[in-house]
Amino acid sequence: MAEYVNIVRRALGQLGGHGGVRGFLVQLFRANDVKTGALIGVDKYGNKYYEDSKNYFFGRHRWVLYTTQMNGKNTMWEVDGSMVPAEWHRWLHCMTDDPPTTHPPVPRKFLAETHQFNVSGTAQQYVPFSTTTKKIHEWVPPKAQ
Amino acid sequence: MLSLSRAVVSGVTRAPAAISQSGVTVISRFNSTAQSTPKKTTFGPLADEDRIFTNLYGRHDWRLKGALKRGDWYKTKEILLKGVDWILNEVKVSGLRGRGGAGFPTGMKWSFMNKPSDGRPKYLVVNADEGEPGTCKDREILRHDPHKLVEGCLVAGKAMGARAAYIYIRGEFYNESSNLQVAINEAYAAGLIGRNACGSGYDFDVFVMRGAGAYICGEETALIESLEGKQGKPRLKPPFPADVGVFGCPTTVANVETVAVAPTICRRGGSWFLGFGRERNSGTKLFNISGHVNTPCTVEEEMSIPLKELIERHAGGVRGGWDNLLAVIPGGSSTPLIPKKVCEEVLMDFDGLLQAQTGLGTAAIIVMDKSTDIIRAIARLIEFYKHESCGQCTPCREGVDWMNDMMWRFVRGDAKAAEIDMIWEISKQIEGHTICALGDGAAWPVQGLIRHFRPVMETRIAEFKQTKQATA
Amino acid sequence: MLRFPAVGRALAGLAPSHSARVQSRAASNMVEVFVDGKPVEVEPGTTVLQACEKVGMQIPRFCYHERLSVAGNCRMCLVEIEKVPKPVAACAMPVMKGWNILTNSEKTRKAREGVMEFLLANHPLDCPICDQGGECDLQDQSMQFGSDRSRFSESKRAVEDKNIGPLIKTIMTRCIQCTRCVRFASEIAGVEDLGTTGRGNNLQIGTYVEKMFMSELSGNVIDICPVGALTSKPYAFTARPWETRKTESIDVLDAVGSNIVVSTRGGEVMRVMPRLNEDVNEEWISDKTRFAYDGLKRQRLTQPMVKDASGQLTATSWEDALTRVAGALQGAQGSEVAAIVGGMVDAESLVALKDLLNRLNSDSLCTEELFPMDGAGTDLRSNYLLNTRIAGIEDCDVLLLVGTNPRYEAPLFNARIRKSWLHNELHVGLVGRQVDLSYTYDHLGEETSVLQELASGTHPFWEVLSTAKRPVVVVGSSALQRPDGGAILAAVSALAQKARSSSGVEEGWKVLNVLHRVASQVAALDLGYKAGVEAIRSNPPKVLYLLGADAGCITRADLPKDSLIIYQGHHGDVGAPMADIVLPGAAYTEKNATYVNTEGRSQQTRVAVTAPGAAREDWQVIRAVSELAGVMLPYDTVDEVRSRLAQVSPNLTRYDDVEGANYFKQANELAAAVNQTLLATPLIPPQLTAKDFYMTDSISRSSQTMAKCVKAITEGAAAVDEPSIC
Repeated sequence: MAEYVNIVRRALGQLGGHGGVRGFLVQLFRANDVKTGALIGVDKYGNKYYEDSKNYFFGRHRWVLYTTQMNGKNTMWEVDGSMVPAEWHRWLHCMTDDPPTTHPPVPRKFLAETHQFNVSGTAQQYVPFSTTTKKIHEWVPPKAQ
Repeated sequence: MLSLSRAVVSGVTRAPAAISQSGVTVISRFNSTAQSTPKKTTFGPLADEDRIFTNLYGRHDWRLKGALKRGDWYKTKEILLKGVDWILNEVKVSGLRGRGGAGFPTGMKWSFMNKPSDGRPKYLVVNADEGEPGTCKDREILRHDPHKLVEGCLVAGKAMGARAAYIYIRGEFYNESSNLQVAINEAYAAGLIGRNACGSGYDFDVFVMRGAGAYICGEETALIESLEGKQGKPRLKPPFPADVGVFGCPTTVANVETVAVAPTICRRGGSWFLGFGRERNSGTKLFNISGHVNTPCTVEEEMSIPLKELIERHAGGVRGGWDNLLAVIPGGSSTPLIPKKVCEEVLMDFDGLLQAQTGLGTAAIIVMDKSTDIIRAIARLIEFYKHESCGQCTPCREGVDWMNDMMWRFVRGDAKAAEIDMIWEISKQIEGHTICALGDGAAWPVQGLIRHFRPVMETRIAEFKQTKQATA
Repeated sequence: MLRFPAVGRALAGLAPSHSARVQSRAASNMVEVFVDGKPVEVEPGTTVLQACEKVGMQIPRFCYHERLSVAGNCRMCLVEIEKVPKPVAACAMPVMKGWNILTNSEKTRKAREGVMEFLLANHPLDCPICDQGGECDLQDQSMQFGSDRSRFSESKRAVEDKNIGPLIKTIMTRCIQCTRCVRFASEIAGVEDLGTTGRGNNLQIGTYVEKMFMSELSGNVIDICPVGALTSKPYAFTARPWETRKTESIDVLDAVGSNIVVSTRGGEVMRVMPRLNEDVNEEWISDKTRFAYDGLKRQRLTQPMVKDASGQLTATSWEDALTRVAGALQGAQGSEVAAIVGGMVDAESLVALKDLLNRLNSDSLCTEELFPMDGAGTDLRSNYLLNTRIAGIEDCDVLLLVGTNPRYEAPLFNARIRKSWLHNELHVGLVGRQVDLSYTYDHLGEETSVLQELASGTHPFWEVLSTAKRPVVVVGSSALQRPDGGAILAAVSALAQKARSSSGVEEGWKVLNVLHRVASQVAALDLGYKAGVEAIRSNPPKVLYLLGADAGCITRADLPKDSLIIYQGHHGDVGAPMADIVLPGAAYTEKNATYVNTEGRSQQTRVAVTAPGAAREDWQVIRAVSELAGVMLPYDTVDEVRSRLAQVSPNLTRYDDVEGANYFKQANELAAAVNQTLLATPLIPPQLTAKDFYMTDSISRSSQTMAKCVKAITEGAAAVDEPSIC
């Protein structure tokens, strides 16, 4: 009996934690998940980092809610794992338990200042040159005088 | 008369086909064993009046004048006029076998040419490409008795109805070919050959063709190819030269000695010639004795003379005495060697040497005394065959080269004992699988070596192994 | 030396000659032999190997080849005969009555194993990098007959490779000295370029001095080489035989119609090999057929093009191009539309184009190749065919060639003449420029007056021709393209008729022959195309449809300024640059199509690869044009096109069959009406030397290999030598 009560309580908590039914649905569609937990911190882009190690097993206990606007790009529905900056990445992937809020990261020159979106699948993507010869060489018509 | 007719009956029942063709007298001769005539048991030495090559050592004039003095060209016209059958019959009666190595009955070979003509001319080709190591009989005839050969060409040519004779002479025999050409020119000038040869109404030409120094051109079909101006590579048989020979015409290839003895046989009678040597090995023969003897020489002797007597009598014995003998190669480099114990008894003729697992070949006796490195001697022979292989067919081209490499390892001893069996097998893979007989000739010396000197080879291998271990 | 009458006669009795069609002899003449105890009746003179083949027993061999003389030097075919002491070489030994051939006895197997060991002793074991790998006789036979281990521990022989031209790659260390290539060169190709030097283990195959193997049939040595010593240079290291797909097809680069196998991999033609057809090419093909395939990959038309406002051809879509073509055709009156077809067009496209233009009320359909239309012209089929057929040359005894160089116009036909010359003592005469034909012939002069002298019987060669039992006269198509072509054809036809009547040969024997040079000509004439573009030049059309016309016999300058030229074909060669609209078609390896060779034999090509890019089969393009032009052609599938072909000319769909024609007398009567006079200019065929052979059409002109051949001939083989990788 107590289990069911617990479930109902968590459901209500999730509804409330995302700002009502509308927020709940937005969260469900964006992240496919409606977990609530303690807000550990917010990075410079506005991504929010949560933790709930009580109700979730290890590996699911830390998560990020991406910002909706990043470097001028609307990221409401198109998010990308690379949006997490390096300092938060360590915490998020449990490489450390110390979030950058309490332990400010050591600046490194190889860490990106500003985030760059992945250009794969776009016109800017890198294409290696072909190493195979063409099977058919087509005729190039002569230039008209 | 009674005894004769009995001889006919017994002759028909026992003698081979060739005999039944010949006359009654012959049959009685062949059946001499059944008759009162006792079987000849001792052979040689040859009496001087029975020698065919009377100027073997060049002590007399080799030109026409000298030749006439020695009885060449004597009543050649009469021989020719007696007809083809008579000549063939005399040669058959004489039991002459080819002197070039294979020992095919000459009379039978020549009679193959007397098939009805199909319009093609026939040719006699004389094989004067004497290149077998150890053999030097033909060159003596060519330089000291060329008229014997020219006359022989005429008689043999008549017997097979040949239009002309081509004498293919070894390129290295410069003086010999020169002498031969002089003899031919003399014979032409004297009307002995050419149009209406000897006044017999028979037209016959003799041409000399000089080779370019290839051992393989002594093989009859290779010789024909070379004569036609192609590379001297043996042809496939059949067709045999008697069907398709030089320039596509029926041809008989005969050795110089075979041809050169023909006139004398005709003049003195086949039965005279038959009187020498054992049955089926009749006649006289030029023997070349070289190697470790006191006086190396070429000598005409009776067939079936014991090897020991031949060496002792004519070559002054083995260097350091008979007991110093190691081995003898009895028939030119391509025949397997025989060790001393075989040499004691063996008779120098086709059958006797065949029994000793070797062959008469060209009757070039190479004597080796105990100072000889027998493996090295055979390796050197194989190197010769490797160098002279024409390269046409696979077993000879690849196999002889392989054997050569192995033999030189055996000389050093750098081999495994099991490889002796392997080279034996390789030689067996060559033997009988080639187009011509060169492959056989290359395989036999190795086989002879292994047959008689295997322990020597094994010792050499063991010694090498020891020295190698000692230095290591 | 090869052509030695005495030898030939003597050998005729020993081995059955392949050239002469062997008449089946009376059964009483047969010899009975046994193969492993199985009785078989064979003709006297049959070799052991042939007797074994007759009972289906394959004897291993390397040097033996059915079409070459017997060398007997590999010794692989040794077999034991019962009661014969030594094993015999099966390829050379004629059977004797009652022989029992033991093909699998201990002795036979030992002999084979021994020979195989010797062959492998000096053969490099580089099969993984050898181009022959997978189709190597030595590989196969060593698996079957060889030992499973090697005893050879000496050092191997190595032989220097030779540069014998841009077509054949030599790796001479692999050579097993079977001399097949030497015999091919001297017997089939008729060039004494190859031979052996050295002796014993140093025996080498080579060209004696450093030179090219100069033959138009040289590529065939690649096929006959049993090992990887001679391989194809263009094909080197490109594919393995087991990964290619083989399509049986027909060659269209000359008018012989050689049967070929197209090897493809991944939609790319990797190589072309010959296919056996005794009536056409036996098992040889010319170098152009074999090596011009790389032309199929260059200069291809892959998408429709139209000229834009600046006059530049730019790529466009099929819809756009077809609509423009249809519009142009609709906008023109009947006779303002004309078509010219080229030398490599298939019969399906020819009939589709003809139907299209006929529906547009035009009948100006021409072939590029000229043929005299005077007299009987192309109305009588016998007038433009090689009536005797290629194989028929083996039966004739006197051959007169007029104004042709068959060696380069039809190499396989020439090979057939040489074969007959070699084995059947064929007597050849030639009127025209004296060229090297690879056999001896009587050169009668290059003036046309020789024809008249022959016809009047005053020429000395008439003695030969008139005494011939089976005379044949072949006139080259190039000779008929002169202004006095009609007169030449009339003269030749009269001469042929005269030779025929003097020979007294049976009715079925055909004397007059025309040797064409392009693959489409006979089909086009069968379908009623006019030969030659003279009509178009005199009456320039508004819309000109060029179907694969690349000979350049008509140019822009011949047409009015505003006329529209449509080019449909597969190569951007001569026709495409002057066109306003270019429609990409398919080459012969890319379509199922019908071609008729110079004999009148219809054969079909098969799809080996798909046409590149947007290119389509030609008849389909024409069909699409017709639909848009509102005159839809009533066929949708290739079968329906072929039934239309059969309606027009039934022989076109009777594949592999030759429809004979025999109206020589009538043609001759009509030819008498020709009022042309023979010109004094000498008869000179356009292809005189090997240099003229390689690049003759749009495919071979695009081929780099063919260009290399020309360069190698003019500048020497070293000029095109590439550093070899192996």
